[in-house]
Amino acid sequence: MSLSRLQSAVKCNVVKASAMCAAISKPWGPCTTEVSICNYIPRRNITQQNAKPDWNRAVSEAERIVGYPTSFLSLRWVLSDEVANVALHLRKLVGSNHPLLKTAKNLIYNGKNNMQALGLIVLLVSKAAGHSPEIPDMEQDKAAGVLHSQRALAEVTEMIRTSHLVHKGLVNMNTGLRVAGERSDMLFGNKIALLGGDYLLANSCTELANLRNQELVELVSSAIRDLAEAEFLGERDEQNNPLPSRPRPDADLETAIEWDCILEPLPTAGVSGCLSREWVARHVLAAGALLGKSCSAALKLAGHKPSLQTQGYLFGCHLALAWQAFLDLEPFSGPEPASFSLVGAPLAFTLQANPDLYSYIEAGKRSVHHVDYSALYRAVVAGPGIALTRRLQSEHVGRARRVLDAFPRCDATTALTNIIRAMTHDAP
Amino acid sequence: MACLTSSRFCARVQDKLLCQFGHKVRRQTVFVKLKPPGPSPLRIFGKTCQRVTTCGPACGTSGTGIAGVAGAARRLASSLQSTSTGSLPDYGTQIVDPYRLLEDDLNGIYEDIRAELEKNTNQPELNTIATYYFDGQGKALRPMIAILMARAVNYHVYGENSALLASQRQVAMISEMIHSASLIHDDVIDQSDFRRGKPSVNVLWNHKKVAMAGDFILAVASMMIARLRSDDVTLVLSQVVTDLVQGEFMQLGSKETENERFAHYLTKTYRKTASLMANSVKAVALLSGADEATCELAFQYGRNLGLSFQLVDDLLDFVSSAQAMGKPTATDLKLGLATAPVLFACEKYPELNPMIMRRFQEAGDVEKAFELVHKSRGLEQTRFLARKHGVEAARLAADLADSPYQKALVLTTDLVLNRIK
Repeated sequence: MSLSRLQSAVKCNVVKASAMCAAISKPWGPCTTEVSICNYIPRRNITQQNAKPDWNRAVSEAERIVGYPTSFLSLRWVLSDEVANVALHLRKLVGSNHPLLKTAKNLIYNGKNNMQALGLIVLLVSKAAGHSPEIPDMEQDKAAGVLHSQRALAEVTEMIRTSHLVHKGLVNMNTGLRVAGERSDMLFGNKIALLGGDYLLANSCTELANLRNQELVELVSSAIRDLAEAEFLGERDEQNNPLPSRPRPDADLETAIEWDCILEPLPTAGVSGCLSREWVARHVLAAGALLGKSCSAALKLAGHKPSLQTQGYLFGCHLALAWQAFLDLEPFSGPEPASFSLVGAPLAFTLQANPDLYSYIEAGKRSVHHVDYSALYRAVVAGPGIALTRRLQSEHVGRARRVLDAFPRCDATTALTNIIRAMTHDAP
Repeated sequence: MACLTSSRFCARVQDKLLCQFGHKVRRQTVFVKLKPPGPSPLRIFGKTCQRVTTCGPACGTSGTGIAGVAGAARRLASSLQSTSTGSLPDYGTQIVDPYRLLEDDLNGIYEDIRAELEKNTNQPELNTIATYYFDGQGKALRPMIAILMARAVNYHVYGENSALLASQRQVAMISEMIHSASLIHDDVIDQSDFRRGKPSVNVLWNHKKVAMAGDFILAVASMMIARLRSDDVTLVLSQVVTDLVQGEFMQLGSKETENERFAHYLTKTYRKTASLMANSVKAVALLSGADEATCELAFQYGRNLGLSFQLVDDLLDFVSSAQAMGKPTATDLKLGLATAPVLFACEKYPELNPMIMRRFQEAGDVEKAFELVHKSRGLEQTRFLARKHGVEAARLAADLADSPYQKALVLTTDLVLNRIK
């Protein structure tokens, strides 16, 4: 019954593309044209015939194209005093339950499940777009085809993302749920997490300042602000884990306002209650804004005109959303998982289609662990959520690829295409 | 005798520290360039980022509170002058209360900060947490010093008809924002219960959200810095953030030998407190278009004032009552931190050394250390060191062109030295 309504939601009625006035004023701006799925996403049987562009291969090939691995966990970081300090303190946490250890582990064993390839994407976009001929040779990394400043920016992007993840990994001790013995461990873990995140943030500020481009500093700072805002959007349990808002019928919804100027905060009118809009808003703030703004900033450094910078922003933003949709689908591709994200797209669509399921969510008001994941899993599998999420993903993939098509063909665009393909290929 | 050796020791440490700072300063001033003065007109997507008027509602209660404290400090200041070594210039009857002098400039500064934060979020709870400490109850010391230096340097460079630039007032706001962001994170780290006479943020809200609110304030401050469109100012102010974090890291560790420990303490103090003051007054001097020497003078003034301020703060932690401070006292000891009074005291009472090393963790350590500090001359020596930095700041300020603002800069060193909270 509500399928057609949902489909229009998929087309992101939150925003409509607008003629933009300023440098990069367009929001996540997915316009309403339908993207044909078969255009961009090879069907499963085609997949098997192609040389399989597996994820790790796509990433390592891409890294080769832009020089060396971009991850800031490079030698010079390991050798820095403060990081050694953090590592020392981190060791004291081993054996405690503090989530910082898990965060640290995830940062080091970076599979495809996190956004560690963020800096890589920024560099690939930089290389794909090239740079203005006026930029002196000294500022170029000739072999890799990117500018030194772009490499610094890619590093800043990863630092900001990591800092955010580390700060997100704090434990809320204001709940009374904790047992007394654990308290000092948690306190110490929080201290290290907070300082470690601050350290990365402070370094980002310095690196940004060294780029001596104030428009860029403003843009990237606004992405840090967006990440902070993301942690306040919508309902939360006591550990600040996100919960979806209660789905409301269309008639009750406010009109959504588009994000005209990305230097301003994301408007939240009409987001709560419309779970597809909420999904977009949440993940634009938490992932899309940073990747989009960094891609845009990379093009600014290369001296490209504002319209191309906007394209860069859209590419990053859509890629991040497609990625997110892909991650949201993963728990539903194999055997039933113990838990999954409560704000993933499949569940969002399912809840919107069947608002009665919201009672399961309410059970998680204190802690997301109290939710009956098994019941929700069955509801998602039986409902329209998975199909709609695939559709959502292909739409964002399509938009990202359309931006890419405007760039001249080169190894960097191929690498980006491979990364996108690896992402879609693995999809269930 | 103990006093003599320790002051000698302290001077030695200071020389070492000054060399360190000298090095740091040289590295920073590489970026200083002469810039034409005047506000740079900026339009970002139709919104001008420069505030010209400051006609917010009068900050009534806080204003009188400040005036009261300032009055008390002034009385102290004049009594100090009669007995001082005469290194401070004589104002005669003309004593300039900096807060009154800058009433118009400081008026509404908290409102402006709150408006700036509110403009940058659509999440009501984030807005509530982020604006919590900008309620006008603070001393607004950092904005005051920044504006005072701005006006003094403008007067120095352009004479009587100079005015405060909108960008300089922005720096004043930014300095308070960076300070508050660090306070918010400190509250989560230290789990303090009270600050500025009210429950601290970590008591009231989810710690994850509090941490994010700190990041948010920093991000908004960083956007404001960028909108000033000055590469040098951005570099100078980003140094502050790095220093703050490094200072915090230094606080985690302690050094084995006494000598190292004092240098460690002073460097930490510079990074945690003085860097913000030094670099924000340097930033306003840069914006004014002053030459390199004047910017350096401003920086050194801020550094000395900041060190003096923190030394007095560490002192007050031992002598002031909880009620006057708006936060509990002997907090440093309870947090395991050995500040100047303790470090001085352990010259006379070496039994403090093992306590410092175990960060006052054992039962009775805090009380014992508190008692020994009071029995020693640690507090006196701390005040002496604080005064030394205050006098140095006053000497630097005296080099600026004579103006009410310049006089107020000199007076501020006394205010900082003689404050009671």
